[in-house]
This record gives sequence, C-alpha cells and structure tokens, in this order.
Amino acid sequence: MRVAIAEDSVLLREGLARLLADADFDVVARCHDADELRHAMRVQLPDVVIVDIRLPPTHTDEGIQAAMEIRAAHPGIGVLVLSQYVELGLAMKLLADSAEGVGYLLKDRISDVPDFLNAVRRVAAGGSAIDPTIVSTLLSRRRSDDPLAQLTPRERDVLELMAVGTSNQGIADRLVITLRAVEKYVSSIFGKLGLPATGSESRRVLAVLLFLRT
Amino acid sequence: MPVTPQRARAPGPLLAVLAVALMAGLAGSIVLAVAVGANPLNATLLCGISLSYTVSGLIAWRRRPANRLGPLMIVTGFSSLTSMLYPSGNAVAHTIGQALDLLPLVFIVHVFLAFPTGRLAGRLERALMGIAYVAATGVQLAVMVLGGLEPHVLRLVEAPVLAQGIYQVELVLIGGVALTGVALLAGRRRAGERPPRRPLALMIGASALALVMIALLLLVGVFAELFFPTIQQISLAVLGLAPVAFLAGLLQARLARVSVGDLVVELRAEPADLRGPLARALRDPSLSLVYWLPKFGSWADQDGKPVELPADRTGVTPIEQDGKQVAALVHDPALTHEPELLEAVSAAAALALHTGRLQAELRANVEELRGSRARVIEAGQKERQRLERDLHDGAQQRLVALSLNLGMLQTRLDGDADARALLAQARDEVTISLAELRDIARGLHPAVLTAHGLAVALESLAARAPVPIRLTVELDDRLAEAVEVAAYYVVCESLANIGKHARASSATVDVTRVGDQLVVEVVDDGVGGADTESGSGLRGLADRVEAQGGRLRVWTPHGDGTRVRAEMPCG
Repeated sequence: MRVAIAEDSVLLREGLARLLADADFDVVARCHDADELRHAMRVQLPDVVIVDIRLPPTHTDEGIQAAMEIRAAHPGIGVLVLSQYVELGLAMKLLADSAEGVGYLLKDRISDVPDFLNAVRRVAAGGSAIDPTIVSTLLSRRRSDDPLAQLTPRERDVLELMAVGTSNQGIADRLVITLRAVEKYVSSIFGKLGLPATGSESRRVLAVLLFLRT
Repeated sequence: MPVTPQRARAPGPLLAVLAVALMAGLAGSIVLAVAVGANPLNATLLCGISLSYTVSGLIAWRRRPANRLGPLMIVTGFSSLTSMLYPSGNAVAHTIGQALDLLPLVFIVHVFLAFPTGRLAGRLERALMGIAYVAATGVQLAVMVLGGLEPHVLRLVEAPVLAQGIYQVELVLIGGVALTGVALLAGRRRAGERPPRRPLALMIGASALALVMIALLLLVGVFAELFFPTIQQISLAVLGLAPVAFLAGLLQARLARVSVGDLVVELRAEPADLRGPLARALRDPSLSLVYWLPKFGSWADQDGKPVELPADRTGVTPIEQDGKQVAALVHDPALTHEPELLEAVSAAAALALHTGRLQAELRANVEELRGSRARVIEAGQKERQRLERDLHDGAQQRLVALSLNLGMLQTRLDGDADARALLAQARDEVTISLAELRDIARGLHPAVLTAHGLAVALESLAARAPVPIRLTVELDDRLAEAVEVAAYYVVCESLANIGKHARASSATVDVTRVGDQLVVEVVDDGVGGADTESGSGLRGLADRVEAQGGRLRVWTPHGDGTRVRAEMPCG
C-alpha cells in the first residue's frame, strides 16, 4: 500500500515513515509542506495521504486546503488529516458531503500503533476514521428529550464505534460479539434515532455525526 | 485677557495733514476753476471724485492700516485734483494737467481691480495695469511731443495726424483695460468658492459699473464726439459715488459688531456647540473652532479628534488666555480684513471657551484610553498566540514524537510483562500530558479561529458546550482578527457561564452582520439573575468588546434566562 506523508516536523515525519515502513507500507513521498505534497501527487499517486493540518508557510489552513484539493481531484485516494486539536467544525468541513476515504485524527493516536495502522488502511480502502474525541464530546452533551437516552449502554458503545468509522467487523472484534449481533444493534440504533438505514459504513458515519451535531 | 492679532495703526498726524491738504486743494481748485471760466458742474464733479476717494481712502487707511487700498485711494483722490490744472491759463500748469489727464482714471481702475486687499491678485491684473499706466503716461507724453493735444509746451515735432492716431489707440487701450477689468470682476464673483461676503459683493457691483463708465467715456471720446459732455458728467458722478459702496462695506463691518453683542448673549447660555454661533457672527459658514490640548501637544476639534491647522496661517486667529494659546478660529482668510470683528468674536469666544475645551480634552482622553485598552488587549492576544504557537511547534510536537516512539517500542517488545506494563504506563502519561497541554494551548489562543474563522471555531465551541446549542453564523467573509477574537470570547465565556450558573437546558448562539456591525447574541433558557459584575468574566468581555468600539449588553432577569448581546463595528 502506497502512502504519502506531509508533515513539517522532521522528527514526526521520519517517525511516521518508519512506523509505516515497518508495517510494510510503501512510503512514496515525505513532504515538508503542501506544495511538495501537490508536486508528489503529480509524480505518483499513493493510495493514501497522511497530512498535518498546520503546514508552512503560515501554519494555519495549508494542510486542510491540500487535503480538500486532493479529495476533490482524486476521490479514490484516502486522505487522513492529523492535528494537535480536533475541531468539529473542521471535521464537518472536511467531510462536506461524504465520509468516504477520509480520516481526521489527533496526532496522539499515532502512538497506539495497531489502531493507527488500522485507521490508515481503512481510509485507504475508502472507509473513515473520525477521532473518538469528536464523537464523545457530542455524546456527552446533556439534552432534554434526548433520543440517545433510549439507547441501551451496549447500543451506545456500538454507536460510538460506528461514528468514528469502525467497520462492523471492527466493532464485532472490539466488543467481542458476532457480526450478526453488530448488525442487529446497528439497525436498532437507526430505528431508535429515526435515521434511514444507509448502506455503506462511511455513509452512516456522516449520518450519525450530522445527527449528533444538532 | 483675550488677545487678537496686533493691529498696526496708520500714523495719525500724517492723516490729519493729508486731510487738511485735501480741503485746501479742493477749495483752491474750485475757486481757480471758476475764475478761469471752466464748467462749474464739471469742476464740482471732479472735486467730488477727489473728495470721495481721498476721504474713503483716509477712513480705510485709518481702519485697515495694513491694507494698501487706503493709500491707493488717497493717491487716486489727489491725482484727480491734477485735472483741475487743465483749464489753467498758466502754460506750465496747463501742460502738467494735460500730461496727467488720464492718470486719475487709471488709478481708479487700479483701485477696483485691487479691491479688497489693495494688491493685484493675478498676473493678468498686473499686466493690465502695466499697460494702462504706460498708456496714460508714456503714450500720453509721446502724443504731446508729436504735437497732439495742443496747446501745451511739450511739442517737439509737428505731426498732428500721427499724434491723433496714437491718442485714439491710447484711449482704446485704457478703455479696453477697464472692460477687461469688468470681466475679471464678474469672473471673480462667479468663481468665489465661498459665498461672497456682503460688502464685497456690493463693492464688486459698484466697481463694475464704474469701470463700464470709464470704458464708455474713453470709447465715446474716440468714436463719437456726440453727447460727450453729458457722458463725461454721468461718468464723473458714477466714479465719485463708487467709493461710497466701499464705505458701506466698512459700515457693514461695524454692523457686524452688533451681531457680536448677540453672540455674547448666545454664548452666555453655554451652548454645547460653540462653532455655530461663532460662524454666524463672523458670517463664515466654513469656520471651525479648534482647541489646543497641551497634554497631547496637538490641536483637537470639539470631539477631541486631532486636527492639523492649515499651513496658511492668515486664516487662523489664535485665542489666548493668561498669555497661553488655548484655542484658535480657523476662518476665511478674507476675514483678516475685518480685524475688529475677528477681535470681538474671538474675545467673546474666549469667555465661553472653558467648557468646550474641557469637553474636547475629556473626549481626547477617552479616545486615548480606548486606544490604549485596545492596544493592551491586542498585545496580550498576540503574546498568547505566540505562546500557543511555541507550544504547538515545540513541546507538543516532541511529546507526540516521543509517544510515537513509545508506541513502536511497545509493538516490538514482547516477553517481559513488567517492562510492557511500564511502557504502557509511560505512554499513558505522555497521552495525558498531551491532553493537558492541548487544553492549555487552546485556552491561550483558539488556533482554529485564526486559521478557519468564526463559523468553524464556534462550531467546535458549540460542540463542547455543556448543553445543546443551536448555532447560526451568517457571515460571508472573514473579519478583522481582533473582532473575530472578541466575538469568539463572547461566545466562549457566555457558554462557560451557562455551564457554571445558568442551569439551562439549551441555548442559541447567533452571529450576524447588520450593516457594518457584527452582532453576537447568546441566549439561554436558564435561571437568569447572573452576576454581571464579578466572577462571571462579563466585565472582561465588555472590555474586549468596547476596545473594538462596540458594546456588550446583558439581560438576565431572575427566572427568565440570560441574553448576552455584543455589537461591534466590523468595517
């Protein structure tokens, strides 16, 4: 699997590259800024791009601009955005109308190597990886007439995993339940929240986030 | 004591001598003229001209010593006496009278073109007068030398036809100068960028009429002998009456002093606006009153805004108190021709100045404080932004790299359970440190705001809020950073207060642009009764908002929720 990295901190960039190389990824580009990344995209198309949200020269929105450009130009390439902060507003901007092949994670997540590699593979394969902080923040809000109150604790766990982009198989592995049980939970959750059943796993990410956001 | 510009005084004895000389000259002239059989009406009209110009000139010189118009009019008055020599039986006297025959007319043209300053304003005026003077003296002498205008004692060559031709050219030249003068006066009246002050308008009208009469007189002399005596007499009468218009102008200035009386009464009521009454009294709508603020070392208007005095100081009349400059009137430079009026008005203004000056100073102070508060907040914000950036690029980045290494180590380390447990613990510690640093950095400065604007930043704020928020942001463009930061903190602090005190179940956040104002409103359905003075941070918010020239209002009735509304100008 071919990966391009755009990260201005040498320490992190090289660390990431080694981590990915160790896991048999083919690191095809190590970029210092967004322009280098754009150039790399012209030379060879990776399966997934890992991009720091703050890149030179202004360290403001260069990374997310590049990410959105790549998403628009190459819908088949996964884009995983890393940041010191995760912001719901930016997540919504990045997802726009599809969560397919998008990831948005705190940089800290790199240290949980197996989880992180899973997320990279998922995004490369067209799935999603949304930072759990975003979902847990949304879930922690008090609400009057809260539709979430109807969910059982188990359903809540499933919802949380579903919202960050975990596949049904991933949920089953994590919660140590069968795939069928996961499917049952998912349809029960969609029923209780009044959401139309959506087919793909990344489409339901967006649906759930939009639901939680209101 | 108010002090206005020093007034030069014309030398009194000289004026008296001139007046006596005039009387003697006039009396002698009439007696002489009648004795040699000249037309008594013409003699009287000539004397009238002389009297009118000399007396007007004497008054003008006395009252406007710095103005050259007075002396010019006196010279004009005396020169017209030389015409009295013309009918003399004495050959030399007659010759002098003949040689200077046209000079008084040229002087009169000069007076009108030089009104009201006594100086010829432009190159065209100076050229015209140069032509007229050469014609009336040099050409006149040439005509006489060639044997024209006999009898006299100057003839050197006998060429009467040539002399007559040259003489007619001379008359046409002077007549033409007079007519061009009329055109100039009319143009000056039309081009006046300010409404012409009344005496000036009157004088321009009278001058124009007199110039037309001069031209008529000269041209009729050349082209039609018909009715010449009648036209001559009418012209002389008009020329004699023209200076009366000037006297009327002077009188008008005296009348203006009456309006100063009204001004004093008006100012006694200490009006908030001093400028209006002063402008009316000076009949100068362009007038401005500026105050000297020693503390700021600058001039300021009534609102305390700094102003520059015009480079041309003729339109500036300083007002002093106890020998110190406290204010100044910036007025139409033409007003310097009415120094008494300026003096009286500025004296009246000095009496009422105190309040206005304090007001200007107070407003300037407020303005300065507002500016320095904005600068303090701005500097603080910049510093926090820098710290956030340092944390982000420094400690946070290194900790992430460290946790990455620990994570990789974890994947390679197998076997020793104790070592694995220690490693997992270390990684957790780093993760916690990162979370703490993240909170600190975010508290220092919301980086997302700088990078992505209010809508995105507020979305994240709303997501972290303790209660569900209905967020509406209607903004097309990014705003000035300071305004965005202030708006962000209004929402941030209001939401924090909702979490701490309001016991609300939901809230709305609305950010819109109304005209050139950014309106931020946070409304909750909680218990209200928020403490707006201490602890709630509302005071600090008000500082931020007011530093942007805006205002923050809070409605927090007991039991009925809290509404925080900030309005800030946003260009």
